[in-house]
Amino acid sequence: MSGRNRDFGYWRSLDQLAGEASAREFSEREFPENAWQPPEGLTRREMLALLGASISLAGLTACRRPVEQIVPFVQAPEGFFPGVPERYATTMPFGLHAYGLLVESNDGRPTKIEGNELHPATRGGTSAWMQASILGLYDPDRSRSPRRGTERTTRDAFLAAWKERAPALRERRGRGLAWLTEAFASPTLARLAAELRTRFPEALWVAYEPASEEQLYRGVALATGRVLQPVFHLDRADVVLAVESDFLVGDPEAVRWARDFADRRRMRSPQDTPNRLYVVESTYSATGASADHRLPMRRGEMGVFLLALAAELAAQGASGVVPAPVPGMLPEETRRWIRALARDLLARRGRAVILVGPSLPPQVHAAALALNAALGAMGTALGWCELRDAALPERGALATLAEAMHAGSVDTLVILGGNPVYNAPADLAFAEALAKVEFSVHLSERFDETSQRTTWHLNRAHYLEAWGDARAVGGHLSVTQPLIEPLFGGTTDAELLALLLRDEPARGYELVRETWRGILEGGDFERRWQRVLHDGVLEDSALPEIVPEVRGDTTLALARELQAPSAGPELVFTPSYAVWDGRFANLAWLQELPDPVTKLTWDNAALVSPRTAARLGLETGRVVRLRAAGRELQIPVFVLPGQHDQTVTVALGYGRSAAGRVGNGVGVDAYALRTLEGFDRIEGIELEPTAQVRPLASTQDHWQIDPLGARERDRRVAQLYREATLAEYRRDPGFVRHHDALRIPLESIYPDHDYSRGYQWGMVIDLGACVGCNACVVACQSENNIPVVGKEQVRRGREMQWLRVDRYFAGEPEAPRRMLFQPIPCMHCENAPCEQVCPVAATVHDAEGLNGMVYNRCIGTRYCLNNCPYKVRRFNFFNFTKYTPELLRMANNPDVTVRSRGVMEKCTYCTQRIQEAKWRAKEEGRAIRDGELQTACQQACPTRAIEFGNLNDPESRVALLKQHERNYVLLEEMNNRPRTSYLARVRNPNPEIGDA
Amino acid sequence: MAQIFSEKANRLAFYGAVGAPLSLVLVVGGFWYYGSPKYTDVGYMPRQPIPYSHRLHVGQLGLDCRYCHASVEVSPVANIPPSQVCMNCHKLIQRESPKLEPLRESLGTGMPIPWIRVHNLPDYAYFDHRPHLRAGVGCVECHGRVDQMEEVVQVEPLSMSWCLDCHRNPAPHLRPPEEITNLRWIPPEDQPEIAQRLIEELALHPPTDCTGCHR
Repeated sequence: MSGRNRDFGYWRSLDQLAGEASAREFSEREFPENAWQPPEGLTRREMLALLGASISLAGLTACRRPVEQIVPFVQAPEGFFPGVPERYATTMPFGLHAYGLLVESNDGRPTKIEGNELHPATRGGTSAWMQASILGLYDPDRSRSPRRGTERTTRDAFLAAWKERAPALRERRGRGLAWLTEAFASPTLARLAAELRTRFPEALWVAYEPASEEQLYRGVALATGRVLQPVFHLDRADVVLAVESDFLVGDPEAVRWARDFADRRRMRSPQDTPNRLYVVESTYSATGASADHRLPMRRGEMGVFLLALAAELAAQGASGVVPAPVPGMLPEETRRWIRALARDLLARRGRAVILVGPSLPPQVHAAALALNAALGAMGTALGWCELRDAALPERGALATLAEAMHAGSVDTLVILGGNPVYNAPADLAFAEALAKVEFSVHLSERFDETSQRTTWHLNRAHYLEAWGDARAVGGHLSVTQPLIEPLFGGTTDAELLALLLRDEPARGYELVRETWRGILEGGDFERRWQRVLHDGVLEDSALPEIVPEVRGDTTLALARELQAPSAGPELVFTPSYAVWDGRFANLAWLQELPDPVTKLTWDNAALVSPRTAARLGLETGRVVRLRAAGRELQIPVFVLPGQHDQTVTVALGYGRSAAGRVGNGVGVDAYALRTLEGFDRIEGIELEPTAQVRPLASTQDHWQIDPLGARERDRRVAQLYREATLAEYRRDPGFVRHHDALRIPLESIYPDHDYSRGYQWGMVIDLGACVGCNACVVACQSENNIPVVGKEQVRRGREMQWLRVDRYFAGEPEAPRRMLFQPIPCMHCENAPCEQVCPVAATVHDAEGLNGMVYNRCIGTRYCLNNCPYKVRRFNFFNFTKYTPELLRMANNPDVTVRSRGVMEKCTYCTQRIQEAKWRAKEEGRAIRDGELQTACQQACPTRAIEFGNLNDPESRVALLKQHERNYVLLEEMNNRPRTSYLARVRNPNPEIGDA
Repeated sequence: MAQIFSEKANRLAFYGAVGAPLSLVLVVGGFWYYGSPKYTDVGYMPRQPIPYSHRLHVGQLGLDCRYCHASVEVSPVANIPPSQVCMNCHKLIQRESPKLEPLRESLGTGMPIPWIRVHNLPDYAYFDHRPHLRAGVGCVECHGRVDQMEEVVQVEPLSMSWCLDCHRNPAPHLRPPEEITNLRWIPPEDQPEIAQRLIEELALHPPTDCTGCHR
């Protein structure tokens, strides 16, 4: 392809490019490291002793018949059948966001989370966080009881203590009392909070989030004088500019934005015109990978960038833009880029929109809002609605609170959720301030850093076991309904507020219904209530969209605030793709989930550009002393191509000390460097290498397809990832075929199966729609009981996720032009190489084209993995599931075998779902309808990039896509005839800038 | 110098030549027979917490299987009845029977009765009652004459080859759907025609692929 760089092609890591031994090892050896290597923590001798014992015991246990009990109900609930899964709609609250979910429950245990198609925030899709939240329910490290100090106690004891205290507080009208909550958008919480405000009018109310959109709301207030919530309609936008905004993956509302974005981008034929995405960012984000044009820029310069854009827009005749002087000078190349961008934005006035990331200051948001108004985005691609029933987080308010605590003017502090001791800015010294508070209570799911320092701790109920309600972005109302009784008798936020209000325990169910009696006024309440519970969202509850008046001097205000940025290095913070602000630190699926960009697992690192690394003599894994604003942190470095040379990025949420067994001590706590002033960004930092090297577990070189002599074979072997620009696609719609260099007839020495009858399953993955968000990976893990192996094992290349997302860079390492994502599940080859080498026929084909894996036959030779060119098979080197705590096993899918040591496993196209769908269809005497059967990955995908179905049905979507001109398979020349194929990506670069 | 081996040693070769194959045959044959589910599993009859007699309830009183195992047609598993179901009758009949003490205790305390599973498949094999009943496979085909059992006993090996025998040739095991719970049903002369009709009407093609049961 013309857009491909011959010298560099597509590559995964700098090590691979340089031909480093570490990267080669993963491609050349059968298995990366000695298979006999025991897991860390067991010495060799202990291991041998264990092996000996298990062998001698194995003989005995085999002789004993396992006695299994069947425990029926005493009184069965009506309409409940054991073994038949049920689904309930519920809502996962997340700050100011709410995710409508459908949760599957097997015999009373919630086991699998899916998106709710009726809910606007998910529309059937999910994120990795939603999928993994089921682990949070069964986390054995959750707090199991209230505590006074460290001693276990009861909620009644707390109530008694509160009753003693409350009268005096009431008398003082709440002076000395402070409330610290997380951000929320919930009618019930808002109602109780309002009542508490009238009860304690002089109490301090503070909401705090370490990562939130508070600056956006402050910016909106600057520009319009109102607190309004943006609702993007990216399906109506032809041109999107994202400024330091990771709206496709990292944003809490990403599932929704990504869906709209992908719908507008999807191409059926060369005649369609996809949207165009410009990204300006300091770190290579997953959103940057989807960009048609990406401009690396320091986070500190984003305001200047917007002013320059405003000036350019004004120069090109945009009405409503007040040009402001641009401090400093941008390089000529950047200015050219901005000129082209401005022309493009103006040409699509009314169909162009600008998104600004939450880490930028309010003035930048205000300026962007003014530009959006000038571009005619208001009311088209960008709607606004009131922010109702919400607690807006504010870091300044937390500072005020901390000050008051230090001064000793707060004697009673109620903390609802959150973890301020861990994640408050370091200069607030929140822990010391907390020690001065006489009576403090923390409601949280675990006995965490904050709980350990409050005088009381109450255990909080997980959202899957609690009653609650929420308002989604856009105002849609929904109810959180529990699927299980609280496992440890936890309290919900609303229950605690009501208890403090009324001095007696209240039931969450009653509280929520009380609120909803007001919401569902008129008509039959019970019927409408049942309907809301059933649908998972209240119909027509979206708030009306408004077009706000924008103050004219908004961009000027920004200009006044901004000074010419210095050119020095900056440190920027981002929430982690895996653990967000640290709240998901104990969820092992997320810790082991490779970061979309760095492919790091079980760690965070200081991301630096290759040039910076070369200048300072750093390499990946080298621990540096990172000094910022008088504070210091020792953290390993990760060299990331595409990172701005002057920016060092560190993910928050790691280095927890009281998260639990999984999350404790994983990574480095970056909050130690974060201050109120340097909340998002710190200028003037120093990096000093130490002698120490900390091995990082990045999966970027694992499971490489066809790496041997890649450059030489590049001429002959088809490319794994195929893409073209829009112009190239229009010129040559069959461009994917040009890669099929080997035009010899493909013949097999094995007899062909007959695939002409019955169901024939196949999958198509649209590379143009994939945003690399990893939701599919976690969904697969949840559906198929896939174990977690830990950092040590990941470093040896033994991660077990059946589905992986390969990440490639294209272009030079110093300035890679693209980042590409390619999800790789099992290809289910019709001529499967794995089947041909299995000595015990443990992997065989079935009549519907599935490459089946029979665990009970497998003897662990691993020949199949050796012979799989796609590297999609996973081997249980140890009995990874053996040590899964009893409680966590409740999250297992009962329809899938739990594998043991010495067994190969791999993607099954969710054969258990196929079996269930086949039965349903048979029962009703029909064939399976297209779309009725979804694999777990397909169902989770927010952008609908994965299509699965019956190839023998010519009308099925998957069969139609297989006919598409952009459809291709990997390694076609091997004649494996994979059932999984890909749609090549089409980029839409601006001809004025040229193909990136 | 004395011989190391006595004359008897000559016979060792003979013993070896005969004995080694013989012991091989014995070992293999032993495993073949004693290791097979026909030997290890058939006849399994655990003691249940309540000596519930299927012979009395089904054989003599004529209860339908589905009165207690109500979910068998809608769920992969046939449920064991909740204690409440037993009480539907036993609050009137045999109220004081000492044998029913665990049942009364269960209702009093709310703690379920821990029955012992008799027909236990390995965890990697997934059996679903629903399609079998729909196809016209009677209970008796796998569970035997439960109506004659004082205590439930496993009568079939439930091994993979046993499953496959039927999946490869289902016709002899099919009966009209209305007779599936009739344990006394005797195949009429036109059973082959009935079976053939069922196979065609219900489009039966029992899976013989691994993925049919293993997942």
